[in-house]
Amino acid sequence: MQKKYRTAALVVLYTVLVLIAVIALFPMLYILMASFRTDKEIFAYNLPFGFHTIFPKVWTLASYHDIFAEYGFGVPLRNSFLVVLVCLPVNLLVASVAGYAFAFFNFKGKKLLFAIFIVSFMVPADSVALPLYTLVNKMGLVNTFTGLILPGVSSGLAMFLFTQFFRGIPKSFIEAGTVDGANWGQIFTKIIMPLSVPVFITAGLMVFVNSWNDYLWPLLCGRNEEVRTIQVALGYFKDENETYWSYIYAASSISALVPILMFLPFQKYFVEGVTSSGIKG
Amino acid sequence: MVRQEMKEGRMGRRPTWMYPYLMLMPALFFVLLFKIYPMVSVTIGSFFRNGRLSLRTYQILFGDQTFWNSLWVTVQMNIIIIPLQVVISLVLALLVNNKVKGIGVFRSIYYIPVTMAIAVASVTWSLMMNVNNGVFNSILSVFGIPAQGFFTNPDQALGCIILMASWKGCGYWMMYLLAGLKGIDGSLYESARLDGAGYFQRLFHITIPMMSRTMLFVVVANTTANMLMFAPTKLITEGGPANRTNVLMYEVYKSAYRNGNQSRAGAITAMLLVLILFTVIIQFRMINTHDGE
Repeated sequence: MQKKYRTAALVVLYTVLVLIAVIALFPMLYILMASFRTDKEIFAYNLPFGFHTIFPKVWTLASYHDIFAEYGFGVPLRNSFLVVLVCLPVNLLVASVAGYAFAFFNFKGKKLLFAIFIVSFMVPADSVALPLYTLVNKMGLVNTFTGLILPGVSSGLAMFLFTQFFRGIPKSFIEAGTVDGANWGQIFTKIIMPLSVPVFITAGLMVFVNSWNDYLWPLLCGRNEEVRTIQVALGYFKDENETYWSYIYAASSISALVPILMFLPFQKYFVEGVTSSGIKG
Repeated sequence: MVRQEMKEGRMGRRPTWMYPYLMLMPALFFVLLFKIYPMVSVTIGSFFRNGRLSLRTYQILFGDQTFWNSLWVTVQMNIIIIPLQVVISLVLALLVNNKVKGIGVFRSIYYIPVTMAIAVASVTWSLMMNVNNGVFNSILSVFGIPAQGFFTNPDQALGCIILMASWKGCGYWMMYLLAGLKGIDGSLYESARLDGAGYFQRLFHITIPMMSRTMLFVVVANTTANMLMFAPTKLITEGGPANRTNVLMYEVYKSAYRNGNQSRAGAITAMLLVLILFTVIIQFRMINTHDGE
């Protein structure tokens, strides 16, 4: 559909787009700027509202230095990366193989099994966090990385995205493979996977962001310092008497920047992955 | 929502009947163990006390004023937040569906809040909305508006959580709605335009009906996400002021981990699952009327 935009319409459109962009980015910009302030400065320029209400007068990296040097922020940072880096490949493998089965095979109980997966993806993990804790506790896995990771390695959402994407792959591609005598494993790795880069990236980003940002489960299951993840650690920059705002700003900035830096280079694929997932029309 | 085009297998022959089951085994194992089993066990467990079948937990729960207040807060929040987020997300999707220069940049920017953890977003917004030294009150002072209580004002706290959650959530739903918009056949618009249909006529008579499946997906997924959102309550308001933000999920958390009352937590979880199921059924009825699925 080709539309012609008049100049006036373009001006209005871009004004609205920029305004929303400012709203979307402002909180991020605000904590990032605050993280570069000195402790003394942090609430000094609130009134009257001016340039330094948002931007620091004296720029410093002291907060970043302190959270690593004095608060051992490296540990939760490492823990979060560890959880995500195990979760991500396992999740993609489990979900893509399941999606492969749903998209290319017919078997008894297929509808029932697919329904189970849909239910599991519609009911968010947080709703079952409590009975899950009881279960993981019985398995003796509370406060272990295994306990933190295991419940997150199977994502109904990822499986759903894979299934829908694979269904769009033309039959002839697969037939060419079977004619050449390839087995199912070879068809998957040689034909399906190279065609499915966008959906692997989309599902991967969603799993990454969900796992990185997960709050309730690590809060329950990973209370000990050795396994504490970054989101939970953010709550520890205060004691009875005082909250260390500049540290919270710095730690929050790090927590927020990691998924953004992951997302930006892949954002093109991301739209393609969602668009072709069949959740349309 | 799920396309049923797989009536006949993609493949003419099945190598062995076991293959698909083997492929599904790992995923099924994890889903059954870590999702379905806890769901079922919490529901069944809430009907037992000291190993015996009993409705005592529910009896106590239904006689508890805190529970009814939390249920009301949860319902109140979701009645506002679900339509609000769907409408904002649709407007965003329509905006970034314009084919103009640099639109990809805006699309990415709108998605950025989604990548921020709810814990971080909660802390950030509570700092920005701080009564004494938050930046929001600084900005309001420019317009001569007195400092607002925001999260500490009983009349504003829930609204502030809704605002924050929508800031963080809408970009996500925008992506799915954008995918839906891109799937609509452009020729439909051409003929409507020839018939003299205006923008809003096209929006309500073509765009929205053509996207009913996407809408259904977004509405349902949005519901389940928001019904269980409790991080802002825990991190910012702790249920206050005056219990005005005390959502059910926070009651679950408090019962289980602060008061050690597992059966109460289990019963509320079961109630939440029922509430979600009930809402989703209504949504299916409302949206999916003309579609056979």
